[in-house]
Amino acid sequence: MASLRMVLEKPWLWSFVGALVVWLATIAFTGGYGAGGMVTAALSLAVFTVIVGVGQMFVITLGPGNVDLSLPANIGLASAVAMKVMGGSDAMIVVGLLAALACGAAIGAINYLLIRALRIPPIIATLSASFIIQSVDISYGRGLQIKPPPGFADFTNWQVLGVPVLAMLTVVFTIGAALALQRMIYGRSVLAIGQNIRAAWLAGVNVGRIRFLTYTLCGALGGIDGALLAGYFRGANVDIGNEYLLASIAVVVIGGTSVAGGKANVPGVWGAGLFLVLLLTMLNTFGVSAGVRLVLTGLIIVGVITAAGGEKPVR
Amino acid sequence: MKKLLVLSAFAAMLASGTALADTSGKKIAFSNNYAGNSWRQAMLDSYGIVTKKAVDDKIVGAADVFTTADKEVPTQAAQVQNLILQGYDAIVINAASPDALNGAIKQACDAGITVVSFDGTVTEPCAYRVVVDFKDMGKQEVEQMAKFQPKGGNLLEIRGLAGTSIDDAIHAGILEGVAAHPEFKIVGSVTGDWDQTTAQKAVATILPSLPDVVGIVDQGGDGYGAAQAFAAAGKPRPTIIMGNRQDELKWWKEQKEKDGYKTWSASIAPGVSTLAFWVAQQVLDGRKDIPHDLLVPYLAFTQDDFEAALPNIKEGGVATHEYTQEDAIAAIKANIKQ
Repeated sequence: MASLRMVLEKPWLWSFVGALVVWLATIAFTGGYGAGGMVTAALSLAVFTVIVGVGQMFVITLGPGNVDLSLPANIGLASAVAMKVMGGSDAMIVVGLLAALACGAAIGAINYLLIRALRIPPIIATLSASFIIQSVDISYGRGLQIKPPPGFADFTNWQVLGVPVLAMLTVVFTIGAALALQRMIYGRSVLAIGQNIRAAWLAGVNVGRIRFLTYTLCGALGGIDGALLAGYFRGANVDIGNEYLLASIAVVVIGGTSVAGGKANVPGVWGAGLFLVLLLTMLNTFGVSAGVRLVLTGLIIVGVITAAGGEKPVR
Repeated sequence: MKKLLVLSAFAAMLASGTALADTSGKKIAFSNNYAGNSWRQAMLDSYGIVTKKAVDDKIVGAADVFTTADKEVPTQAAQVQNLILQGYDAIVINAASPDALNGAIKQACDAGITVVSFDGTVTEPCAYRVVVDFKDMGKQEVEQMAKFQPKGGNLLEIRGLAGTSIDDAIHAGILEGVAAHPEFKIVGSVTGDWDQTTAQKAVATILPSLPDVVGIVDQGGDGYGAAQAFAAAGKPRPTIIMGNRQDELKWWKEQKEKDGYKTWSASIAPGVSTLAFWVAQQVLDGRKDIPHDLLVPYLAFTQDDFEAALPNIKEGGVATHEYTQEDAIAAIKANIKQ
């Protein structure tokens, strides 16, 4: 009984409940037809939101005002860099992935420099950085779709018994991220800074270094996400990351991480990522029009956040 | 055909005969609100090629391009106001909004400037609109589908950007086509935003719950994504109407070589920017009889001619067509007749 109550108190539970309800509603509508296919599609598509969501989660956990709004532009540029470096050749896949990672990490580092050296608030700094990144991307990619090498494209779409391999790898990665958050000095420092930056500093946490690492990590995850997106969607383009501005923040919040910082959890990002894709599946299956779809998406997200945030204050 | 040639030659003669003003000193500006996708890049390329020649040939004095980085209305409104102050004689515009720019457009008209909008057209009555016949394109998609799938069956529709006139027009055309061909039934509709990534994602989410479909009717830029979504789900490949993108036509060619796959492709040619340019030039030339709403044909490829066009399209780009002054005169004439 006690263990059941412990599970019920987990903030990430609600995102999984939401995903399950939406899935069941869709199956009820189709009479059970396509239930498995929906889960496979949800896993394949949720992966991309989860990867950037984890990065965004670390940044948001740093405390009020911390957010990375440059992710969409970052993803767009990294997708183009990865595809150009790979140049359609399977032999260059690893080099291309490393290039995307480096490109994303550099953007993250620059974001932090803007915040730190010029003392610009993160919202403004990352937003203005994204304009610069996008312009670089347009002149670099010239708006053309650059195709991935066949081996990389197949890899991003590889399934074993209906489970995408990319999703399995992402589960491994998120377990690592959860360990880093809860068990490692780095993660504990991020949480400490988010709870009270001054107390963390007095306790000997190297605040500047941890924040720098966090923005760089988030940027690097955006970079790798861009490369994977370009593989899965068969081509890099400027707009490929557009939806991840809202989605990366939404999965963090729906997943039960505190927007005020200092409190985070990784499983919720998965639950919320699946929830968002299954929600789109449900609305598409019901055949509602584009306008109604947007309104319903907004309302349902608000509903889930309200349910997830309904916990009582501890003190 | 010969008659048509004679007619257009006559029209050209007539046009040059009625020319009241010399346009060699006129300056035409191009106000563009976005450059971030392959369609817009092709639009700018075509425009650059045609206008450079027009300037070299001393048909017009200058043809400058002004692109704003974002898709925002205020930025473009400010840009139009700058163009008025800089003394341009005409503005060719691909507008960020059909009505929000009307104020700035009206100011330009009041300053005696000719405004020709295309693709993203404006509703301000004083401006000219070069509009592609999207409704007919939607209808043709179903007509063509009926040739490839004579037995009929279920169709999936991929819609464009919600709320735009283009989306409404193509959708209306498709509905009209389906009404004329009751053997087809639209069993699902998703929003693809003319974007491969969005389309692939949308199709992937609806696919598991969809009954077998024989064809996909769409709006261009979304065909390749739909094909990928079907492949990823391991579903049989339907007849997908294409939208003139290089990757779509290349995929079509691969499928055709594999098993004789048949389909049809249509879209608005990015080079319609050059048609708008020539219309502006004709107005500056003193022609008073040009209708403010000009309906022009879309660019289509069939099973027989798409492979010939493929090598001319830039890798990752979109098929285009650069219009000539004669094309513009012919288009104006066709619209006067209606």
